[in-house]
Amino acid sequence: MQLTGLRRTGVLLAIPGIALVLLLHWQVFFWVPTEVTMGVIQRIYYVHVPSAWVAFMAFGIVAACSAAYLWLGDERLDMAAVSAAEGGVLFTTIVLLTGPLWARTAWGTWWTWEPRLTSTLLLWFIYVGYLLLRGATDSPQRGKRFAAVLGILGILDIPLIHLSVTWFRSLHPQAVVMRPEGPQADPSMVITLLTGLAAFTLLFFAIMTYRYALERLTVERSTAFAGTPAPSVAGGGA
Amino acid sequence: MRKKGLSFSLAIAFVLVATSLLMAQGAGDISQLARQNLRPYWHVFIAYILVWLILFGWVVSIARRLGRIERGLQGSGPPSGR
Repeated sequence: MQLTGLRRTGVLLAIPGIALVLLLHWQVFFWVPTEVTMGVIQRIYYVHVPSAWVAFMAFGIVAACSAAYLWLGDERLDMAAVSAAEGGVLFTTIVLLTGPLWARTAWGTWWTWEPRLTSTLLLWFIYVGYLLLRGATDSPQRGKRFAAVLGILGILDIPLIHLSVTWFRSLHPQAVVMRPEGPQADPSMVITLLTGLAAFTLLFFAIMTYRYALERLTVERSTAFAGTPAPSVAGGGA
Repeated sequence: MRKKGLSFSLAIAFVLVATSLLMAQGAGDISQLARQNLRPYWHVFIAYILVWLILFGWVVSIARRLGRIERGLQGSGPPSGR
């Protein structure tokens, strides 16, 4: 059965992902030096930035699979898109929660309506809308097509988020690693960040594989019972 | 008796002077200072706990939905889709 293969792939991705998460925690709490100006609160950066990276990647997958779904009409592409969208929303939630925890100490406020924070919140709303739109129409197929269009349009917010710190007057710190002249941070900080990026990416793909298996099982089972695809399971459950 | 009264008065005077000196040096703000200095540590721990709670919650949510469908497969009823 293909689902067994998907589960095996999920486990194969999860094992190195969990190992890298353990390494990341050791690096963050015992190895990497404390940043001079911000102090210990800067350590939130090692989960905040990887979460943002994974969220952007997930929404990139949503946009690519949605475009291919509209073109080819292959249900598997829609299943991959909804699986990635669910993960993307959760990782954006992490970004939106860990950011204010850092900002309370660094800026003295939990939240400010500055360009990067506002455009990130907008991204979260767009993809929550994507998940809600799928079940909001009478015809599941029409809901999927509407959501696919939103999934493609939503990706336009990501360059805006990335460039907002240079285009507008922004409180948010500038990039310290992805700079044209190379990383400006201490090498141990860059290594810790790269560990976080690798760990979060592997964990995302591991969990997304299971989410895809769930979507596929739901659609296949309902097709076998009723001859028509069932509504997506997005947003259901715990 | 008189000696005992003098000792008591000196002790009271010492306590009052020490308290006023400490207050002058801002010792009254010690608990507030400690809270401010420890706040970043709490925020870091809360951030890391939130990350793993959210990811664990996602895994549990998928496992529950998958389990519900697999239980449905063992039965005979059509799927609800939720």
